[in-house]
Amino acid sequence: MADIRRQSPMRFNTGPCRTEVRDNWTVTLAYDDEGDGPWLTDLAHKIRWDLQDGNIDAVKPSGLTIPASPGRCTLAGGTLINRMNGTQASIYHLGAKAPALPDFAGYTDVSESMVFLALFGPGVFYIAEKLTNLDFMDPAGKAPFLLQGPFCHIPCQIVILEKTPDGSGGFLLTCSRGYGDSMVAAILKAGAEFNLRPAGENRFDTWISCLSGEI
Amino acid sequence: MNRLNQLPTLRIDPAVNHSLTYRGRTYQGVAGDTVATALFANGVRIFGRSLKYHRPRGLYSLDGECSNTCMEVDGIPNVRAENTLLENGMTVKEQNVKGSAERDWLGFMDKLDWMMPAGFYYKIMHKPAAIWPMAMKQIRKAAGLGIISADHKMKGRYDEQFLKAEVTVIGGGAAGMAAALAAAQSGRRVILLESRPHLGGCFDYRVSTTSDGTPLHERARQLAEKVKQTTNIRLFEHTSMVGAYNNNLITAFQVGKADDGFTECYIEIRSDSVVVATGCIERPLLFDNNERPGVMQVGCAHRLARTYGLLPGNAAVFSVGHNPGLEAAVDLFDLGLKINCVADIREDGQDPALLLALTERKIPVLKGWVATKAHGSKMVQKATLCTIDGMVKRQFSCDLLVASAGLTPVSGPFILAQAIMGYDDHTGYFLPDQLPEKMFPAGRITGINDPDAIETSGRLAGLEAASAAGADLWTKVAETRNALAAMPGPERGCKLVIAPVKGRKSFICFDEDATVKSVKQAIDQGFDVPELVKRFAGVGLGPGQGGIPGHNLPLFVAKYTASKETPKPTTVRPPLVPAFIATYAGYNHHMFKRTPIHHSQKADGGIFRNIGVWQRARYFTADVDCKEEILNVRNNVGMLDASTLGKFRIHGPDALKALQRVYVSDMGKAGKDRIKYSAMCNDDGCVIDDGVVVKRGENDYYFTTSTGRAGQTAEWIRYHTRYDNWDFHLVNLTDAMGVINLSGPNARKVLTKVVDIDLSNEAFPFSGYREFYIQDTIFTRALRLGFVGELSYELHVPSSYMQAVWDLLTEAGKAFGIRNFGVEAQNVLRMEKGHIILGQESEQRTNLLDVGLGFLWDRSKTVARTVGAVALRQAANDTGRLTLVGIRMEDDARPARDGSLIVDNKVRGYVATMRRSFTSGEAVGMALVESQLAGAGTRLEIFEDECNGVRIYARVVPMPFYDPEGERMKS
Repeated sequence: MADIRRQSPMRFNTGPCRTEVRDNWTVTLAYDDEGDGPWLTDLAHKIRWDLQDGNIDAVKPSGLTIPASPGRCTLAGGTLINRMNGTQASIYHLGAKAPALPDFAGYTDVSESMVFLALFGPGVFYIAEKLTNLDFMDPAGKAPFLLQGPFCHIPCQIVILEKTPDGSGGFLLTCSRGYGDSMVAAILKAGAEFNLRPAGENRFDTWISCLSGEI
Repeated sequence: MNRLNQLPTLRIDPAVNHSLTYRGRTYQGVAGDTVATALFANGVRIFGRSLKYHRPRGLYSLDGECSNTCMEVDGIPNVRAENTLLENGMTVKEQNVKGSAERDWLGFMDKLDWMMPAGFYYKIMHKPAAIWPMAMKQIRKAAGLGIISADHKMKGRYDEQFLKAEVTVIGGGAAGMAAALAAAQSGRRVILLESRPHLGGCFDYRVSTTSDGTPLHERARQLAEKVKQTTNIRLFEHTSMVGAYNNNLITAFQVGKADDGFTECYIEIRSDSVVVATGCIERPLLFDNNERPGVMQVGCAHRLARTYGLLPGNAAVFSVGHNPGLEAAVDLFDLGLKINCVADIREDGQDPALLLALTERKIPVLKGWVATKAHGSKMVQKATLCTIDGMVKRQFSCDLLVASAGLTPVSGPFILAQAIMGYDDHTGYFLPDQLPEKMFPAGRITGINDPDAIETSGRLAGLEAASAAGADLWTKVAETRNALAAMPGPERGCKLVIAPVKGRKSFICFDEDATVKSVKQAIDQGFDVPELVKRFAGVGLGPGQGGIPGHNLPLFVAKYTASKETPKPTTVRPPLVPAFIATYAGYNHHMFKRTPIHHSQKADGGIFRNIGVWQRARYFTADVDCKEEILNVRNNVGMLDASTLGKFRIHGPDALKALQRVYVSDMGKAGKDRIKYSAMCNDDGCVIDDGVVVKRGENDYYFTTSTGRAGQTAEWIRYHTRYDNWDFHLVNLTDAMGVINLSGPNARKVLTKVVDIDLSNEAFPFSGYREFYIQDTIFTRALRLGFVGELSYELHVPSSYMQAVWDLLTEAGKAFGIRNFGVEAQNVLRMEKGHIILGQESEQRTNLLDVGLGFLWDRSKTVARTVGAVALRQAANDTGRLTLVGIRMEDDARPARDGSLIVDNKVRGYVATMRRSFTSGEAVGMALVESQLAGAGTRLEIFEDECNGVRIYARVVPMPFYDPEGERMKS
């Protein structure tokens, strides 16, 4: 069999210093100089599912209860469930491994559909407000919560996992895969004055571990 | 010039020098200077020349309220030198001069004002008409502000921010700061915008005191410190509000400091409520030569000394109509300015303490007097004062005439928020009759001038704004309102409209050189309301946005017309202050989609074009006719990246019903191993999309759409089933799957080397659908289609594996000479086959029947009402419609351009696509023509753009032009 590799929709100019191959993805674990944050991490290799069903509240992805209200999220055991609307939820598997797609027609594996990235660290929301008018810092929004709307004019699904009053924290962003190059260029340009750098999966895992204490 | 370096009010740092170059000489300013104050410190008094008359102009407001000090800075014209902080190494030039600002050869224009009455642009130099183009060129040479090169590139970095706040405060004076602090106490997010580089407003430079004896400048700094320490207040200094829109959308732009990451930053704020604490500017005093260098407003003179340490002159005359004018006279005297006389327009009502202070300093005060003329050809040398009834006159020598008729509120934010403005007889201000929703005024804009009352009104507005944003502060609001009521209220304003002069050289608008006389001329010609005068006489149309004439024009029009109605102000529009277009453009990120193999396509020589949201490879050689690409597909095998196709999953118990609703065919016939081609129409029966559908399981379908429709398809289906309560779900997989179109007579041979299924025509026939794994790893959906008219496989693979599959096929196809083909080659190939592209062979009016796709329409379908079916039934017997036909040029060497018109004595249709076929050697294409012209052999006359009357001709011929039986694609 030929040496088959998968490709991410995102490309950074910085070269990785540590990688590992996982499910034909070349996953970057760390970059040479990741700086002190904020950071941008490519999560294209993480599994995402779409779940749609008329009776969605009865479905338990990975044994978890789907939040009742659109915009609310649940993060547990490395699984993030985001309630999108009355009949739909998105499910992100943030850990190293993901379960097989359940044998239920309502699920669709949409990992290939989207850019999936994490933007986290100090002052990260000051970068975000240069690219979107979505209200990441809404005092009424208790992390984790979901925003659906334009980021850099592109329809996105954004999950705020952490926020502090000084504009720090982090969020996950998905958008159509084709926008990968444009989105990364826009974010890095907006984040240049904040010293935004690409970061590997290790740093992302550390952050998520701090948030949930479970991964 | 020596600076007053020890003042506690200074906003400069005399220890840090900055240099600038002006007229070939290097001047020294200091940190904190503006370009204007640095030049002033070096003795420059004339900054430029006026628009029409080339009159000398100098410092006037120090806030850029007019074009007096617009200069070219570092190659950028029309920069407001008063608002632009000095940076080391700047190069500054004067504008609108022939020669220099000091000696302008066109200064004689000032004597020719009689030749340029109001509206002269509209009335003369038009007859005979041939004169106008010449006259226009000469006028443009003589008049105007800065000049910019058409290919000028703005330097700097232009940023943008999109903010959300519960309360936005416009204006960082004492009232604005108090409002922000009060609102922030509720925990709400507060944004504070201040147009100057520092907080303080009218407190910032004044030494008079609050009721507890604190100097105002000190109080301003105390409040500023509190603001900066309050974490839920976001402060934006040097930030001008420029627009207000529905639902309190406030726009502004910030000028970056040296250590900021931007030159200017455009800001959009969605705010629940807004406090307007923009304060007041001064109402210019109308008298002869009222814009001569050396004439300046009270705040300008006062701030020059207190903020920048520069005495505005040596000997001054004051002609003012408010207490801040008297206060400035006292303070400037104490700083060393000789004051020969203070004329107060008011007969009475002055602050007794200020009158006493003037008396103690032996400064003569004339009550009920006003300046009528500034003398001096380039600079003020003396001033004529007279009683406001014009009976008694006196002259005083001076090099500085401080003049102000009173204050006028900066009400632009209210006007932009669509407030109906009225005239307040007590203050003489134009204020909103009714406040816009969730907008609150604070501070001097309400007419108050008492420092304690200014702060309290700010606090009240902040509490009200926070309450309007959801905070429960109504008790505090009531308490603060009562406290404010016990304080000094709005002061009576000065009502003088104009000094007793004829007004030939009394300028009501400095930007446009509009005088009182020209306003009278406009009114005398029937333009008797301010909005008409504004346009006819050009009053307030310049970069100052009506800052100078905004108050005086309606007052003067009301007075001159003896109107019994209250004066009405003219409107203002965004941007309230001039902003660079580059600032509005911001980042200008180019957001577009790329396919999963974009980079390898580029490496293969792909020449890309933006097609909708996608970038696609249109050609792979410099030959735009794509001959080699086309022939390789016809004779061998080629690969096209077709990843942009729309791809969807629809599932759920009612999925089929939804498909039946939007597709014209009976979608119940979609099978597991076969594709079903069909089309969608809108309610008018006009065809909007086509694609294929595959049934993958029970209530589970996969379908494709055209590239252009992919973004709308899900909403389209939901919209057309919105009342049915059907249980189905859509998943957009457009980006999830890359698509490779492998086409050509050798396509099977290439694919056989990569997959291990039986690809024979019997096992996988035309219109077949198969799913398999490549290399046991890559899940693939394969569709036997024939869009380009050859044996073709459309392979849908996960996007992340797209490059891997492409590389495998490339390797496998090497032996067959496989090569890329792009969108243009595909366009020609499918055209030869007579396959249409919606949008190319159709337009808004084209229905399913017009393009020959009527065979797709299942008229007997009863399962669900098909969108467009009613209209199609009505159109079925309509003979007056356009029909898609094949055409061939009479001259095969001369294909018509796409979009060319088919005409006789009127337009009869148009050419949709036409190319010279490399397969047949004929110039063939498709056209939409009126049905009478659709008969085979009909001669068509074609009109092309820029054909200079030379028509070309084609005839209707049968389609398709290539492989009419479809043997090649079905083999």
